[in-house]
Amino acid sequence: MAKKEFYVSYVEGSLGTKTKVTLKRFVWICLGFTIAGAFLFSFFQKPFKNSTFELTNTTNITGTFHQSPYPMLRVKVAEGTYKNIVLLGFGKSSANPYLDNLLAQEKDLHGKILSISGNLIYYNGKTLLQITDAEKVKLEDQNGKVPKKEFLGEMVFEGEIIDPKCYFGVMKPGFGKIHRSCAVRCISGGIPPVLATTDKNSIAEYYLLTDLQGKPINDEVLSFIGKPSEIKGIVDKLEDWYILKIDPKNILILNKNSSIY
Amino acid sequence: MALDYKLVIWNSFKKQYDKIIAVSMLLYIVVFAIVTFTFNPESSIETLIIRAFGSLAIVMLHIILAIGPLSRLNDQFLPILYNRRHLGVSMFFAALVHGGFSMFQFHALGDVHPIYSLFASNMDYNSLINFPFQVLGFLALLILFAMAATSHDFFLANLSARVWKRLHMLVYVAYVLIIAHVFLGTFQQETSPFTIGFLILGFITISGLHLAAAFKERKTDSNKTEEDEGWIKVCTVDEIENDRAKVFKLANDRVAIFKYDGKLAAIHNVCKHQGGPLGEGKIIDGCVTCPWHGYQYLPNNGQSPPPYTEKVATYQLRLKDAIIYINPNALEEGTEVEPVYF
Ligand code: HEM
Ligand code: FES
Repeated sequence: MAKKEFYVSYVEGSLGTKTKVTLKRFVWICLGFTIAGAFLFSFFQKPFKNSTFELTNTTNITGTFHQSPYPMLRVKVAEGTYKNIVLLGFGKSSANPYLDNLLAQEKDLHGKILSISGNLIYYNGKTLLQITDAEKVKLEDQNGKVPKKEFLGEMVFEGEIIDPKCYFGVMKPGFGKIHRSCAVRCISGGIPPVLATTDKNSIAEYYLLTDLQGKPINDEVLSFIGKPSEIKGIVDKLEDWYILKIDPKNILILNKNSSIY
Repeated sequence: MALDYKLVIWNSFKKQYDKIIAVSMLLYIVVFAIVTFTFNPESSIETLIIRAFGSLAIVMLHIILAIGPLSRLNDQFLPILYNRRHLGVSMFFAALVHGGFSMFQFHALGDVHPIYSLFASNMDYNSLINFPFQVLGFLALLILFAMAATSHDFFLANLSARVWKRLHMLVYVAYVLIIAHVFLGTFQQETSPFTIGFLILGFITISGLHLAAAFKERKTDSNKTEEDEGWIKVCTVDEIENDRAKVFKLANDRVAIFKYDGKLAAIHNVCKHQGGPLGEGKIIDGCVTCPWHGYQYLPNNGQSPPPYTEKVATYQLRLKDAIIYINPNALEEGTEVEPVYF
């Protein structure tokens, strides 16, 4: 205790040797703590899905437009095989405003062939297209065939309501608690709500949600988004998609961890 | 109080300190990115940025919170305390990148204003597991912003030390908000015993250090005093080291009694700058020098030497048989007191 070191910032050389040793030790401990933190927080992330969003890549697709009830483009992928690509707007918005220009010329676009440039979003067999510019939606001269609905009956599912834009590619993770606020914004902005389910064999299936009349449903489901729920409704098959007609009153929130994680 | 903030000057130590902060932050992000892309290559760059900077900020916050009690426990840590501000501002920037990216990702380009969306997109305020955890992070970020913005001594001088100190004590509120932000948010979905354990251990360490420091202070406060006809008997001359002080608690105030040049003088223990403990300081060039940032006061009148204008309260002392007695009534700040010779 005879000669205690006393550091004063403006006194040159007042940083004593013992103090320096302590400080060096402290810096090394902090560095170790920092690297341990970086390792733990990065290593123990859950695996991400291999979903894709082609943010910087534009793709032109041509197909038959239909609103069932959400805007989609029916595209031929092989002889006799069609894919229905869900159309979305920029950011957290619906594709509908991007079609207004064409609607001014043509009363009804249902069944018309459109060619659209946009950014693809895809995962697990489902494809979506983000439209960023109304100019990039072109009306072709012909009419096409819209897909036929096949009635499957009333069913009950367990799953989670997600916004398909983020879930199928834009964000990771695009579901659950972390993502809930964003999904609420997307669906509130007109992106169709989708019920994601997994069965006992871990086979995932996706259902576009509508009201009982088959009309778009958005605000009514906001409080259920991103929470594992049980949902009862009437199922129609629409080629590669299912449509689930629901009454939001029949959604039951389950207090359990989501099986779609 | 016009000149004082020039006192905290740049020097080579400070530059080295900043270099260590910058390199460590960079290292954190690089390690995080390499580990993520090695073990989890499907991650997206936005998620990487959000998670790397959010977790970096909380790691830095732990270090910041440890420095205070560490330097109260061992004065060899004081040089870090002296420069904690840069660490705090850097941590705020890490948190800002995290919060800013999250705000953009989750709330921008929607049908309502992002700030409105932050508060209103998830309305489960009455649920614990569904709680809108992002709001907690946002409130914490506001606190960190207020602290970073006022961290310069210019604000300290203009806000008054007490207001400034109160504002900066909010760092504990921010810490609690951030812990809740992570436990009610990420940990509900990305549940790993390792990251949860890391933050729990962090919490235990930080609270442990604060308790130990408080315990040490209580011990100082129990330095024995005895009343004698309005004067308080404190200690003998020998108990104080030369050019140093001993601290006593009188009623509500702590007083530092300094011994120097064959003289004794008593001043209020609290530095006018940021409330540093003057009694743990040293007499340098005839002045009491604060251990935190080196503000100086003349022991005989509690005034900072010109051109500085800070003043602390002084006390009267009396010596009888090598025993020191103090008058517990503080004199007006800056009052000249005839030192006691021994
Ligand atoms: C505007 C303010 C903020 C917003 C909107 C926000 C949002 C978020 C979101 C959405 C997540 C989950 C991300 C994910 O796991 O994918 C998250 C996690 C986290 N946040 Fe914040 N946050 C904010 C402020 C803060 C602040 C100020 C801190 C700390 C200084 C912080 C620390 C963390 C940490 C440590 C995590 C967990 C990181 C991880 O996932 O590994 N946040 N935040
Ligand atoms: S010099 Fe900063 S608290 Fe005393």
